[in-house]
Amino acid sequence: MSSAEAAAHEQPILSIRQAAKRLGGWPALRGVDLTLFPGEILVLLGPNGAGKSTLLSAACGRLALDTGTVSLAGEDPRRVAGVRAQLGFVPQHLAVYPYLTVRENLEVFGRMMGVPRSALPARVREAAAWAGLSGRLDAHSDALSGGMRRRLNIVASLLHRPRVLLLDEPTVGVDMDARERVHELLRRLRDDGLGVLLTTHDLAQAEALADRVLVMLDGRIRLAGSPAQLVESEFHGMQELKLVLREVPDAPGRALLRSLDLRPARGELAWTGPVAGDFSRLGELDARLREVGLTPAELRVRAPGLEGVLLRVTGEEIGP
Amino acid sequence: MSVAIFRAMLLGLLRDRGALLMSFVLPAVFFVIMAEIFTATTGDTLNLDVAVVDEIGDDTSTRLLAALEQSPALRIERLGGAGEAARRTLRERVRRGLADVGLLLRADAEPLDSAGGFGPEPIVIYSDPARAVAVPMLVGRIRQAYFGALPDVAMGNVVAELENQFLTLTEEQHAELAEGLAELREDAEAGRSSGWSFEDMLAFEPVAGDGGRLSLVAYSAGAVAFMFLLFASVHGAVSLLEEQENGVLDRVLAGPGGIGVLVNGKFLYLVLQGVLQVAVIFGVGWLGYGLDLPGHFLPWLLVTLVAVACASALAMLLATACTTRRQAQTIANTAILIVSALGGSMVPRIFMPESLQQLGWLTPNTWALEAYSGIFWREDPLIEILAPMGAMFGTALLAWLAANAVAQQRMYGRATRLRPTRRTGDQLLGKG
Repeated sequence: MSSAEAAAHEQPILSIRQAAKRLGGWPALRGVDLTLFPGEILVLLGPNGAGKSTLLSAACGRLALDTGTVSLAGEDPRRVAGVRAQLGFVPQHLAVYPYLTVRENLEVFGRMMGVPRSALPARVREAAAWAGLSGRLDAHSDALSGGMRRRLNIVASLLHRPRVLLLDEPTVGVDMDARERVHELLRRLRDDGLGVLLTTHDLAQAEALADRVLVMLDGRIRLAGSPAQLVESEFHGMQELKLVLREVPDAPGRALLRSLDLRPARGELAWTGPVAGDFSRLGELDARLREVGLTPAELRVRAPGLEGVLLRVTGEEIGP
Repeated sequence: MSVAIFRAMLLGLLRDRGALLMSFVLPAVFFVIMAEIFTATTGDTLNLDVAVVDEIGDDTSTRLLAALEQSPALRIERLGGAGEAARRTLRERVRRGLADVGLLLRADAEPLDSAGGFGPEPIVIYSDPARAVAVPMLVGRIRQAYFGALPDVAMGNVVAELENQFLTLTEEQHAELAEGLAELREDAEAGRSSGWSFEDMLAFEPVAGDGGRLSLVAYSAGAVAFMFLLFASVHGAVSLLEEQENGVLDRVLAGPGGIGVLVNGKFLYLVLQGVLQVAVIFGVGWLGYGLDLPGHFLPWLLVTLVAVACASALAMLLATACTTRRQAQTIANTAILIVSALGGSMVPRIFMPESLQQLGWLTPNTWALEAYSGIFWREDPLIEILAPMGAMFGTALLAWLAANAVAQQRMYGRATRLRPTRRTGDQLLGKG
């Protein structure tokens, strides 16, 4: 089911309205709206300091908003602690006890999250199966590979069967293969009806996983939609032109670049925008740039993706 | 829920041999060392090393030194020679710390068996100001030996002084006197009481427990136990800050139990660990030194529970109030050393100036020590130690409540405590 279909049929499991928060005088959130439906993966993208983690803190009830509301399964998680049982939070760090076995870790976190003792063995087996760790239940967690520990880190937040899973950069520091195993796990959770909200700097991960993407910048949601919708909104079915200059352009150079619908990033050294036509235009473009004194270090046309969208929207490169 | 974190910490301890060693073996070893020191320095078996030069070498000086050598508190080292060279050697041994005190029996002075007062003193004591206490101790032993082992000399001197100043004895009386003094000497040499020794006038009655040695063992057990309780509690409590750094805290805070799960689970664990730790120390006192633990088990258990709760709650309060492990450890180490020094965990309180003893009442170490001393030393009924127990219980309760409140405020209400600098959500989630 697409998120649009989901929205039409279901109530959001997590809803944040007009969230505003100043931290030490700095507006970390400025009127953010967010809804998460059961059975969708929502990815929060944005540069450091954009407000992603602040929003996660508010979502799980750790942070009081100055204005705005958070509703988790219809309740405010700061007022009704019990509703936090609907929530699983996966920290960026490997938040497991290294001296405990996989089974012991799952039992400890299950009990901490209020799983009844009688239900625990079955939940532990279930979680281990999700994570592909059924054969390693009695292994110490510090003896697991990085990818296994990442999966353990995720399923340790699932034992109480939450309806919402919040993940803060869940695949930092893992290899491609392990990352794909994590993606499989998250897709299965989504298919089982969980609402999954994750922050990441990994654009490929966002493109691979997201039903919807929210792009945050300076405490605001700047873009929202599926990856395909976002790419379409910025590139209109055209290719992406990416230009990297050797020097920051002067005023005439800047005017030329803007006339080509290119937008700056990286302190005006990188420019990106939609480009129509074939690659033969590159030679013509190169010549026009050199006419105004601009020397390209890199000039290429590629299929557009979220990277180009973010470069155009935030002016910053985001990546792992 | 709190039992889960209790279990995690317990398994962590059981699987860490180093931590086990530090938690249970090191305190016991430290206690044995302290017990040996306390009992050796404050009991009646303190030994003095005395270097001696006997320039006189007559019957009286020989008898005096022989009597001193009989004293269990003195280790006599006789140096040979006489004159300035021997005296220089004697001074040098004291100055270099090879002897606690030096004793010179001078040949160029009045005889030992004369009434004295008209010439140079026959006994010279060489002392180091750093060990000044050795002088009165040696003087006491000399006086004891003089009157106990040489009563004929002492009494002969008295008679001689009487004759000098007040009366004249006849030849017959002199003969009777000589006969009596000879009997006195025989009695002394045979180990019979002459009735002349000052010690014959003294009786001793201990007012505490089973005697001084056991009292001091009980004291050192309490002293070491509470100091290590504080260290071990802080070590366990700061794992909360490790959990903040590795993200476990974030996972738990997002759950329904919240921070209370961690704070109270750790508190429970610290109480159990503390009771075991104190039990090991007092167990060594029982098995190794004869401390009557079984005979005082119930009051000991009650005092131990409140002492452990006090140390654990204070440690949890520190851990919740600090932002980093390093900060917590630095504050804790400084504070523990200060309260342990003031509270009597390092030096017996009876050796402290009155002002410091009074100041010690502000420390939990003193409360614990007074409670344990009341049980094992003074054998007080429980009601007599309610004051220190109440102080520990009250502190434990207040610190536990404060730890929960501070944790709640820090973890869920940081907005009110933020400094006017830019902080990102990453920092809120412990990443920066």
